[in-house]
Amino acid sequence: MSNGSVVAAEHLSKWYGQVIGLNDVTLSVPAGITGLLGPNGAGKSTFMKLITGQLKPSKGSITVLGEPIWENPSVYFRIGFCPEQDKFYERMTGREWVTALVGLNGVAEAAAAEMAARAIETVGLSDVADKKIAAYSKGMRQRIKLAQALAHDPELLILDEPLSGMDPLVRRKTIRLIKEWGRSGKSVIVSSHILHEIESMTSNILLINQGRILAEGNVHQIRDLIDEHPHTVFIRADHTRELAREFLADAQVLSLKFEDGGVVVQTGRPDVFYARLTELAASGELGAIHEVTSPDDNLQAVFQYLVKS
Amino acid sequence: MTNRPGVLASAVRVFDLSLGQMLWSRRSVFLAILVGAPMAMAFAVRMVAVTRGLPVINGAGLNGPTLFGILIWMLFVRFVVPVLGVFYGTSLIADEVDDKTITYLFTRPVPRSAVLLGKYLSYLACVVLLVIPSVVVVYFLIIPIGGNIGQSFPSLLEDLGMLIVGLAAYGALFAFVGASLKRPLIVGLVFAFGWEQTVLLIPGYLKRLSVAYYLQALVPHAMPQDSSISALLQVFQEFPPVWVSLVSLTGITVLGLWLAGKTVEKREYVLEQ
Repeated sequence: MSNGSVVAAEHLSKWYGQVIGLNDVTLSVPAGITGLLGPNGAGKSTFMKLITGQLKPSKGSITVLGEPIWENPSVYFRIGFCPEQDKFYERMTGREWVTALVGLNGVAEAAAAEMAARAIETVGLSDVADKKIAAYSKGMRQRIKLAQALAHDPELLILDEPLSGMDPLVRRKTIRLIKEWGRSGKSVIVSSHILHEIESMTSNILLINQGRILAEGNVHQIRDLIDEHPHTVFIRADHTRELAREFLADAQVLSLKFEDGGVVVQTGRPDVFYARLTELAASGELGAIHEVTSPDDNLQAVFQYLVKS
Repeated sequence: MTNRPGVLASAVRVFDLSLGQMLWSRRSVFLAILVGAPMAMAFAVRMVAVTRGLPVINGAGLNGPTLFGILIWMLFVRFVVPVLGVFYGTSLIADEVDDKTITYLFTRPVPRSAVLLGKYLSYLACVVLLVIPSVVVVYFLIIPIGGNIGQSFPSLLEDLGMLIVGLAAYGALFAFVGASLKRPLIVGLVFAFGWEQTVLLIPGYLKRLSVAYYLQALVPHAMPQDSSISALLQVFQEFPPVWVSLVSLTGITVLGLWLAGKTVEKREYVLEQ
């Protein structure tokens, strides 16, 4: 590892024809948990694909755990990657899928099955491990993706929007899992477009927009700035209307509308709102909460402000 | 740390992972219907033979072995084998890219060429499972029409061997096309049904740049004169010796796979997502 950093980029650029995905980025990601925060189209995905060796830098260089990643498959022994896309071999069961992927690490079949079982238990899917992935809920699919990333016990976990679509309880468990992973001396790079997600895991943030790193480190002032802007959340639950009524009684909720079988809430205090939502999910008094997502535009206004200032 | 698995060991793991997906894909269902058509045709011919006697074409009665030879030429060599090669071969990597599952394979400690090889082996297993039952059923339905199953059996084995060699060569060639191009299916179809058919009609050396030229030399049946094109083909046809055909088809297979592997190693597929 170079200078204790898990990822080091030197004048790293990536462009697709005329479009710049990442522009002259020089950075060093330290060991531990690091959050990559940026709105849609900021360059998060390009950065994630470069550090996972799926893309080749157009210019500059990148090393992961001290080694170049492009055309160097042996680095993947030390990396676990959970991609953003909700895509699977749908006909396989969760157990078959994770076992098969761990098997690609050169592990014998019995050992791969054991490692897969352990990872599946870690993400809390043991009871549905033998169901076909096609029958999984969005949250389960996110978790099985996480299981395949951590099954081979990598030094560095790279997670692209891992909490997207998870219900509040699973989200809380997953955040705990990621934090434990970091505490055990391993490293995590996690991307999100939601500051509160990132902040619940780490205070070490990389802020990215328009292909450039805007800020690195412990960025409290950014958090304050983001809090001033309304935050939109989409929730799908068993009893959406009752849930909406509960939110309306809360002064933190600025507006509320029903959409696509769920409710879209705009809040001025996202941290308070998420805490209340987790409480409601844990109590179960309003039935199950199946999905919580937040659109990308929450950050957009803040980033526009940051770039101008 | 676990030792890095070799290309072949990794390919076998990818084969395990992909075979089920490939066998039960919509493409396989569609192509199973395609290879089922010769069976249906053979069944109809058998029914006609049972009720009305030997089939007659251009005033001449045909026996089972001759008819089987015609079906092998017209349906399997000229149509089914190239079609299976094009549809599966061009999609080996393209399907994973379109389905966005390629990420899971390309972020594991296996060479990308092993991923391609594993997918190719799945293709081979899948098409062999589709074609062999079809040929065998057609054989048992057609040969008894004025023929002898025992006598013709060695030629059935030759047919099956020839078809597998053809599927291997076409698959490898189209795996390279699929790994290299953005719209591989169109190019593959143009190659299989444009180039391959045309160069066989042109006198000279050009036909040596086709798979069909070598494959046809392995067919253990006489080429039927079913159309004016076939008649032309027979005029210009020169069959290379069997050993030349086998060496050439093996060469095409190895070269196709090597080029496809090299292409996959260097290409950024995620861009297309």
